Amino acid sequence: MPLLNHSTNRTTSDGQTEHLQPVTPPSSSRQGGTHSSSTQLLDCPSSSATFQCAVIFQADSLNRKFPLHGVFATILLLLTLLTATAATQTHRSTLAEAILTDDETKQIELVRSLVAAGDDAHVVHALGAWRQGGVFLHETNDTRTPFLLDAQTDGEGRARGIRIADSVPLADASGKPLLFAATDLTAADTSSKLRKSIKTVLDLFAIANPDPKMRRDAVVKLGQEQNQEYLQHFEVRLKSETDPEVLKGLHEAVALTQIGSDDAAVRVASIQKLADLRSISSLNFLQELEKNAKADPAKYGEETLKAAHSAVIQIQDYVKLGNLFGTAFRGLSLAAVLLVAALGLAITFGLMGVINMAHGEIIMVGAYMAYVTQNFFKSWFGASGFGFDSYFIAALVVSFFVASGVGLILERGVIRFLYKRPLESLLATWGVSLLLQQLFRHIFGAANVQVSSPGWLSGSLVVSDVLFAYNRIFVIGFAVSIVFGTYLLLTRTSLGLQIRAVMQNRAMASCVGVRTDRVNMLTFAFGSGLAGMAGACLSQIGNVGPSLGQNYIVDCFMIVVLGGVGNLVGTVSASIGVGVTDQILQPWLGAVMGKITVLGAIILFLQWRPAGLFVTRSRSLEG
Amino acid sequence: MKTNLRKTLAVLAAMTFAVQSWAAETVKVGILHSLSGTMAISETSLKDVLLFTFDEINKAGGVAGKMIEPVIVDPASNWPLFAEKAEELLVKDKVAVVFGCWTSVSRKSVLPVFERNNGLLFYPVQYEGEELSKNIFYTAEAVNQQAIPAVDYMLAEGKKKFYLLGSDYVYPRTTNKILKQYLKSKGIPDSDILEEYTPFGHTDYQTIVAKAKAFAAGGKATIISTLNGDTNVPFFKEFANAGLTSENCPVVSFSISEDEFRGLPAKALVGHLGCWTYFMSIKSPENTKFVGDFLKWVKAPTVAGVDYKVSGVDSKGRVTCSPMNLSRMGVYLWKQAVEKAGSFQVDKVRTALIGQKFKGPAGEVTMQSNHHLVNNAFIGETLANGQFKIIKTMNNVAGEPFSEKFLGKK
Repeated sequence: MPLLNHSTNRTTSDGQTEHLQPVTPPSSSRQGGTHSSSTQLLDCPSSSATFQCAVIFQADSLNRKFPLHGVFATILLLLTLLTATAATQTHRSTLAEAILTDDETKQIELVRSLVAAGDDAHVVHALGAWRQGGVFLHETNDTRTPFLLDAQTDGEGRARGIRIADSVPLADASGKPLLFAATDLTAADTSSKLRKSIKTVLDLFAIANPDPKMRRDAVVKLGQEQNQEYLQHFEVRLKSETDPEVLKGLHEAVALTQIGSDDAAVRVASIQKLADLRSISSLNFLQELEKNAKADPAKYGEETLKAAHSAVIQIQDYVKLGNLFGTAFRGLSLAAVLLVAALGLAITFGLMGVINMAHGEIIMVGAYMAYVTQNFFKSWFGASGFGFDSYFIAALVVSFFVASGVGLILERGVIRFLYKRPLESLLATWGVSLLLQQLFRHIFGAANVQVSSPGWLSGSLVVSDVLFAYNRIFVIGFAVSIVFGTYLLLTRTSLGLQIRAVMQNRAMASCVGVRTDRVNMLTFAFGSGLAGMAGACLSQIGNVGPSLGQNYIVDCFMIVVLGGVGNLVGTVSASIGVGVTDQILQPWLGAVMGKITVLGAIILFLQWRPAGLFVTRSRSLEG
Repeated sequence: MKTNLRKTLAVLAAMTFAVQSWAAETVKVGILHSLSGTMAISETSLKDVLLFTFDEINKAGGVAGKMIEPVIVDPASNWPLFAEKAEELLVKDKVAVVFGCWTSVSRKSVLPVFERNNGLLFYPVQYEGEELSKNIFYTAEAVNQQAIPAVDYMLAEGKKKFYLLGSDYVYPRTTNKILKQYLKSKGIPDSDILEEYTPFGHTDYQTIVAKAKAFAAGGKATIISTLNGDTNVPFFKEFANAGLTSENCPVVSFSISEDEFRGLPAKALVGHLGCWTYFMSIKSPENTKFVGDFLKWVKAPTVAGVDYKVSGVDSKGRVTCSPMNLSRMGVYLWKQAVEKAGSFQVDKVRTALIGQKFKGPAGEVTMQSNHHLVNNAFIGETLANGQFKIIKTMNNVAGEPFSEKFLGKK
């Protein structure tokens, strides 16, 4: 029967669901046999209409060749089609009935029977809406009609009400569609138990979702419920799934469900499977199982206990290994943040010897520049897409130049008069920092501003369950490149040579014709520019507000002093040391104690080596 | 000469009387909220809503016929300064009542001042309880009106593991101590409760999020967050980057209201939960009026009936939130009590306040003899526009400051 074949394939050609849901719903008591035979043909009415045309057309062409056969086929087809539409209709009215029912147990039973309705978009949508309070009741005289609101709204925010029972807009007596405003309506009630079973049904639908991420999430969640009834759904999906991540999830889910099996052999095999998959999400379940097996050896048997025990150990080892890499990465990323923030200060304070308390505020200037650039790009390219996402690159450049401009003004206006008086420069720059804070508070408001991350800096790379967040990877890469850039500038350019000369012996450099005044100015501007770029970078990690600088200034001085004033290698080593130590201590001691311990260790270290990790000898510092 | 003197005296007496009778038409009311420093972002909104409420009341005829005259002081987010400013309000300005304080530490700092001078303070921000002063009325949510309902909700949703994460100060620590006891009484073992604190201004949430991810790997986990202010930004950024969502690990935050969303990327928080006794999205005629009138007022802020110039009111993107609503209801409860007592005297007003009812935007509240309100509590889900969608309502939850009472001990 080629025609019938064609009809069963319909759902496949639809492109929505490659695979049909298993036929029998978990609690199919009230659905009966019609249901099981008809689910195969489920579709929403609009497409079944086009289908109908196609069938008639095909039947017609057949008719010419084999008249009798054709008529028979047509009748048969129309019959199946009718039952199909009827099933769709049944699902929809089941849902409507569930919404109107007052008894929670009955509601849950009805909802669970909808598990076969996964390819009726209307039912899926309505179920989701019901769970989130998007289903309303239209009351006329004695009848209550559940409906949801159309996505399209008119100028006043009102939308048509779509009946749940048949997906037809609600209309008044004259046939004019009724309009509702979401704000005037009260949603149909749901209890948390009911919402949970709706969620389960939606998750079962989601196993066939076109988005692999959604599929995986749904599978993981369902696996954790360890419900034997879901096994059939997993098995069906396993046959057609191609995405490796989802496949792994499915295998995990099947094994996790089967560790609850009564058959000892199945149990042991699935435990072994979970161990082989290194399934971190099953660890809790396996531990639980191990505990139960220990408590009740008669029920679970020796084999299960042994398998569970070794599986727990295998997975725990895997977690430990992952933690090791995770901690190393987190330590490096914190080190990179510290380094990026402190590098500018390593130039202005370390090399030039200016105690620049406004360093934090120059970082803040950079962060605000990222915000300003973002806003410009938003107005040019809209709030997403490639154009907007590239704003961050531009922001780095803008931040560098604006911050170095601010640095230049600061150097020319204040600091150059105070080179010989470090304490006064401390006070003066502190004053400048307060001024800058207040200025930015005045321009941008006291509240924090929101800098959104471009698409390529959100999310993370997952390698064997260890997370590498993209923004962290970027900061590490950025830190490496600015350190390298600074190194090149200092060692390979004539400006670098002059900077080093002035730093080592200002008088002598001046004697041989170096314009020390100009070198000071450029060095300070460069250091400030680095701080500005740091600000743009930090806007991707933390808050951007007028007090941003205050949060970093202490850390910056700590890093530079610990590393040894005047030594870039020292700054790099100090930030790596502090970052990694902090991240190693944090899981044990917590964030507060971890930080205190690190600070205590630094104080002790500086008692022992007051000049820091790397000692630089130069006249300017001794003077 | 004698008659002259008498005349002068008579004129003087008349003048004094005139001044007195003019002064008698207003009543001084203190506002003790930080308008500068770290807390200014949150507390300025409360100052605004209080002035708005004074304006509302004055337009309707004032309190017992007297116009409210605001006296605003700025304790500048400086805890000892709170005590000094409170003293100033009570002793120098002789205000009839003070509305103020946000952080628990500021309240603790002014408490002895109010008790010594027999003042009256209305405190509107959710707090940890374990305190009851005869001079303070707590319109704020007590732990059993915010934290406990939220935890109950998560338990009903089938959550079995709780990560208690907070900023390192008195409110989160006390609340979490109570929550831990409560969770234990509900059969959650110690191993399934994690507790962690981070300093103010903490930006590095990598380790904590990694821990949370491992904690939530087996499903059924939730984070109960008492993180304060802007530390939420790095936390939620890290949270989203780690692939955690409200689906696989919902976060219930006690310190994020609509007002905080003005400085937070609401997008990163969509689907996470909040629990308060008021949401801006509540549908009631009282709320529509409150929100509408307030948004209108911020554009042209004045206080009617008194010679007072309002300044420093930001009109951009304003919202209403629970502490704001509770501040406003505090003023109305005080007004009703004054009118019932027929006096501004603290002792009389205090007695009259007990049992006072007010139908506010989120339903009717009643002041109990324990100085806390009977109020409705709501659980809301964060939407992308920074509003909450209410998903559960608990009616008439009686505020109880002492945890041993609702934990059923002793």
